[in-house]
Amino acid sequence: MASVTYDHVVKRFGDVVAVNDLNIHVEDKEFLVFVGPSGCGKTTSLRLLAGLEEISDGNILIGDRVVNDVPPKDRDIAMVFQSYALYPHMSVFDNMAFGLKLRKTPKADIERRVKEAADILDIGHLLDRKPKQLSGGQRQRVAVGRAIVREPAVFLFDEPLSNLDAKLRVQTRAQLTRLHQRLATTFIYVTHDQVEAMTMASRIAVMKDGILQQIDTPQKLYDDPHNVFVGGFIGSPSMNFFDATLVENNGKLEVNAGGFRLDVPEEKANEWRAHKGKEVIFGIRPEDIHSKPFVPPGILESDMRATVDVTELMGNEIFLYLMTPDEKQFIARVDPRVKTTNGDNLELAVNMANAHIFDPKTEINLLHQ
Amino acid sequence: MTAQRFSISMLLRYVIAILIALVVLIPLVMTVFGGLKTTGDLLSNPIRWPADHLHWENYDGILQSSSFWVQMRNSLFIMLITATGVVLLGSMPAFIFARINFPGRELCFNFFTLGLLFPLAVAILPLYISLRQMGLLDSHWGIILPQIAFGLPGTILILRGFFLALPQEIEDAAYIDGCTTFGMFRHVAIPLMRPALAAVFVLAMVGSWNAFFLPLLVLNREPLWTLPLGIMRFQGQWGTDWARILAFVSLTLIPTIIFYFFAERHIVTGLTAGAVKG
Repeated sequence: MASVTYDHVVKRFGDVVAVNDLNIHVEDKEFLVFVGPSGCGKTTSLRLLAGLEEISDGNILIGDRVVNDVPPKDRDIAMVFQSYALYPHMSVFDNMAFGLKLRKTPKADIERRVKEAADILDIGHLLDRKPKQLSGGQRQRVAVGRAIVREPAVFLFDEPLSNLDAKLRVQTRAQLTRLHQRLATTFIYVTHDQVEAMTMASRIAVMKDGILQQIDTPQKLYDDPHNVFVGGFIGSPSMNFFDATLVENNGKLEVNAGGFRLDVPEEKANEWRAHKGKEVIFGIRPEDIHSKPFVPPGILESDMRATVDVTELMGNEIFLYLMTPDEKQFIARVDPRVKTTNGDNLELAVNMANAHIFDPKTEINLLHQ
Repeated sequence: MTAQRFSISMLLRYVIAILIALVVLIPLVMTVFGGLKTTGDLLSNPIRWPADHLHWENYDGILQSSSFWVQMRNSLFIMLITATGVVLLGSMPAFIFARINFPGRELCFNFFTLGLLFPLAVAILPLYISLRQMGLLDSHWGIILPQIAFGLPGTILILRGFFLALPQEIEDAAYIDGCTTFGMFRHVAIPLMRPALAAVFVLAMVGSWNAFFLPLLVLNREPLWTLPLGIMRFQGQWGTDWARILAFVSLTLIPTIIFYFFAERHIVTGLTAGAVKG
């Protein structure tokens, strides 16, 4: 049980700055997910915490202890790797017991702990097998088991689900969440998959180019992205962005995106009016664009028209690839009852309550508190 | 259509395999049967079946002589210690050169591999003088130590390649599980390298078993002789007892063949399967 602190942590590989001035405090028992595209520094951040890489600058603390120069084995951590990294020459039991044996844990204790972990993960019947005799999902559970038996203060996960097929990934996601609740230990988890991050995390740290973009709860991250990158990265399909200008027309505030205009409702106008006359990046999520007449109640509606380019029926919803009059493409996620074909001109209702405006230069959310 | 092409390619493979097998087997068979002839018969009919009957007395005579068994023991001793030494001392630097980063690593590694340029024969004079100064002449250690030293460059080169292929995540997992560098070498790397170690072990064994030049120079007293030196006994000033020599050679082959039968599985089996999701 321990908190984890990144205090102005920098990691350079030659001239490349992989992690740039990272500051995060992870509370005890928290489930923190690092998410970002490949090369964003998320795995490096995890490896720094594990002690597998040396930090170039700053401090890493586990609990109150600075662990910069502590070797991995003395950091009281356990890690699950993307490739699982099971020892191929050892049985499942020995794989799980290896860390305990090295720590000279009494034999009876080892057996009890391995058995407990095996029960939790439902791999009790596999203990005598070698890793190569296991399926991908079973190997993954053994790798988690190897981490559990150590009873570490912090669990580290490096993309542990990316080698599983889609169905198994969804199941395992829920299992990991349950495991976190059951063990009540700090989890730090790295993934490039924003769905994994959204579903499991108590907080998400979004990274890009070695820089922390935003750290917040999944809901806050979704509702209130700090910048264009976070807005686009969290949510699937991703947020639509348009270059636009905020103009006042007959006392009413409007978003003018060239191909279309959207009224800013009175409820929002006060907040938005501060940026009147400015060029902005207008951001709206696909799920906040509705096709009439299937408009949910209670939204701050503003109307526009667009031409249907491609429709994707998902069963419970439809993804519409739409074209503005000035040929800008965007996506809407609409009610499955909408009947439409390519080339139709649709009347759309945009929920301005969830719209965002970003500064075109800094790409920072102008409405972010 | 595909079945036919398949069978033709299979046929080709079989033909090639049989040819290779013949190239290996014919000299072996000739050696074994040559030992069953008299020298006169052997020289007049090297290939044919023995003219009158099988002459077991060549084999019999060798097996009855105590010197054969002494030489066998000497050869086995030298071979096993050499091979063990080569693997033990070669695997550690190979591991370091593959998995540990330090300044000058490549330089050190290249220095070791330079040894490949110098076969034993090139260094034989200084080696002989050194051995004499150390009092290792007429001693088995005078053969074992140089053989280990000259076996190291090749061993390090081969094993380093295998250690490099060890997945990084397995190494990381071992460190997180609580291994020191040596613990990782001992508990994880070495067990995974078993096929490579076996191959290197066999290479060192074969070299040592067949060595003639070094034992010839170092060992003067007959009780210390190895099997290849023992062959010299059948070469007299006025003639060579070829049938005896072939019988002797046939018998010296046996231990290596037995060993190979046991080691083959380890040499062939790839142990890394299942290490990483493939």
